[in-house]
Amino acid sequence: MANLRQIAIYGKGGIGKSTTTQNLTAGLVEKGKKVMVVGCDPKADSTRLLLGGLAQKTVLDTIRDEGEDIELSQIMRIGYGGTKCVESGGPEPGVGCAGRGIITSINMLENLGAYTDDLDYVFYDVLGDVVCGGFAMPIREGKAKEIYIVASGEMMALYAANNISKGISRYARAGGVRLGGIICNSRNVDRELSLLRAFAKELGTKLLYFVPRDNVVQHAEIHRQTVIEYKPQSNQAQEYRNLAQAVIDNEDFVIPTPMTQERLEEILMEFGMMDIADDYKI
Amino acid sequence: MSINLENSNLATRENRIGSITGYIGSLSDLAQQSECGTLRGCSRCFSQSSTCLSGCALSQLAAIIDVAVIHHGPAGCSTVAANAYYMSRVMAKKRGIESNTIYVGTDMDENDTIFGSTESLKEIILEVYRRYSPKAIFVSSSCATGIIGEDIDSVVDDVKDKIDVPIAAVHCEGFKSRIWATGFDIADHAVLSSIVKPPEKKRNVINFKNFFESIRPEIIEMFANFDLYPMFLYCNSTVEELSHMSESLATTCICGTLGNCLGNALEEKYGVPYIRTINPLGIAGFETWLREIGRVTDRSEKIEKYIAEQRAIYIPQIEEIKKQLKGLKAVIGMGPGYTFEVSRVLNELGIEVVWALAWHYDKKYENGDVPPSMEYLLNNDIDFEASVADQQNYEVMNILKKYQPDLYLSRHPGSTVWAIKNGTPAVYVDDEYKIFGYKHTLEFAHDILNSIHNRSFEQNLAKRVKLPYTDWWYGQNVDKFLEEGGK
Repeated sequence: MANLRQIAIYGKGGIGKSTTTQNLTAGLVEKGKKVMVVGCDPKADSTRLLLGGLAQKTVLDTIRDEGEDIELSQIMRIGYGGTKCVESGGPEPGVGCAGRGIITSINMLENLGAYTDDLDYVFYDVLGDVVCGGFAMPIREGKAKEIYIVASGEMMALYAANNISKGISRYARAGGVRLGGIICNSRNVDRELSLLRAFAKELGTKLLYFVPRDNVVQHAEIHRQTVIEYKPQSNQAQEYRNLAQAVIDNEDFVIPTPMTQERLEEILMEFGMMDIADDYKI
Repeated sequence: MSINLENSNLATRENRIGSITGYIGSLSDLAQQSECGTLRGCSRCFSQSSTCLSGCALSQLAAIIDVAVIHHGPAGCSTVAANAYYMSRVMAKKRGIESNTIYVGTDMDENDTIFGSTESLKEIILEVYRRYSPKAIFVSSSCATGIIGEDIDSVVDDVKDKIDVPIAAVHCEGFKSRIWATGFDIADHAVLSSIVKPPEKKRNVINFKNFFESIRPEIIEMFANFDLYPMFLYCNSTVEELSHMSESLATTCICGTLGNCLGNALEEKYGVPYIRTINPLGIAGFETWLREIGRVTDRSEKIEKYIAEQRAIYIPQIEEIKKQLKGLKAVIGMGPGYTFEVSRVLNELGIEVVWALAWHYDKKYENGDVPPSMEYLLNNDIDFEASVADQQNYEVMNILKKYQPDLYLSRHPGSTVWAIKNGTPAVYVDDEYKIFGYKHTLEFAHDILNSIHNRSFEQNLAKRVKLPYTDWWYGQNVDKFLEEGGK
């Protein structure tokens, strides 16, 4: 397990963390890597594209139904290219404590020996912002050491990314967790590439990869597949392969330097608008 | 501050009336800063002990006859149940009555925490109602349910049409206040919002909030002289009695901290006057308190007659014993409802208070006034070192070591033992009526005298006991671990 890279993917809700993580995973398994994906979202939809549907009984549902005496096989399914898929699960919206659920389920995975020696990568796909201690669980206690933040050129995505960086820098002081970079899941907003580069630089990191927007992603999702499985020859499939290679090659891991709200807004003013005012043609 | 009984959640003492848990200075400075609004409590970077407010809230409620307390939380939160059962049964037995109050923990586990457990809670409430037929049900939160935002209010609303007794959600997450007395207020809020009904007729009753009604027959007999009847709360109260609190002529309390929330709320909502005087401890306290009851119930004449009779019996005896107490120095550590009242009595007996510790301090009560005990001390030029000590025993020991008083007085179990190990005679003011009226003030004076007459026990014990505090600590200022703000 010496070479196991544990990676947590954070980002604003709806930004495309699960889609990016699963397509990135598909790119890695094509290159012969052994990957486990741990969904850390009560909706339990982080492995849908790898498993061809929501076929997974979550860790927390299993514990609730079966008690603590459970087998790894009950909570882990094998998906595309041999990927090991686990969904943490959680309560219905508005009740209970999803954060506590993540803590419980990750502890259970460790207790059941899910982190086997043959794995090269473990991805934690974490819900939305780091709203409480539970959602920081994947980056605490020596679990994920690498973090990638999925963002776009939209202001709230950058705002969330900056907040997440605050959480990372807190845990970085005590543990070994580092930010590996920003992955842009493009929304085709004004000057998105230069904005994301400037934003990443301000955070002390880099734009790891710019994933362009392409409708084939939507089509693949409808077919419950990753793009690499659905249209292996498409340009977008190659983009995800390139992203996978960027992750493999990445050696730049930093403690981020989160910025003030004022500085974030300055960067948006400087890089985030075209010269023509109010040009909202998309 | 106006009350809102529509909301089941009551703000903490810190929020409502600016109470603090850290201060060291003089009594006059504490009062002056309270009046002009500059008093800021400070925290400690080291804290030795504390108490969970839920214990105060739920033990108050569990003392009511034939009710059910359902403590929604992990099993450990319900450990107070054993004591609540014991007190409830013993206190009822003492009165010669029976109480079938029950205290149920919901045993919340990991799954309940993650997924929420309102369905289980609902089943538990209905089962408790079916099995025990309580006269009222109190459903309490805990830290765990507070953190996950368990919607206890909705569950309580939901079952209201399935049970025909009062039911209230009681929000007592332990972390929300450092002040245990917030728990007393929470209990009052639950009783007021679920049990107390609007008045139909006035009764010659005085609502008398206390802890254990230990001299009940004596007070009933005294009030009978004035054609009044005391209704003691909440220990051994019935739900039916409590429902009529709004019909009483006045509300009073043996302890300002215990009673201010209930007293103010009954006055504000139902016009029942709250007796806001110094408490009936010692001579001045007893007389001031009785005269105010006489004023608000229009019984001044009868009360003056009673005072004159009693004075003739007791004052000469008290004056006699005062001669032997004169010049003694005392340190005192109690809750704020007692420490400043007992300080006044000690002063009355000729004993000099060199330092008074209050476990917390209420800058102002709900009506905006500083606590009457403080006002009295200042108006009578009584001043001494004072601190707000949050039950920190190490601060008490530091003070005792430095001042070497003739005696230490405290009110909480186990606390006098430390003073005795230090070689300091101690008086345990355990019962809330220990200094009530002329008679018990005289007894109290005798207790003090007995404690200091023969000090060999304390001296011998101190020689043989090694206390855990180091010479370094005894050499420090008492405020060593207080952070800036209240110094």
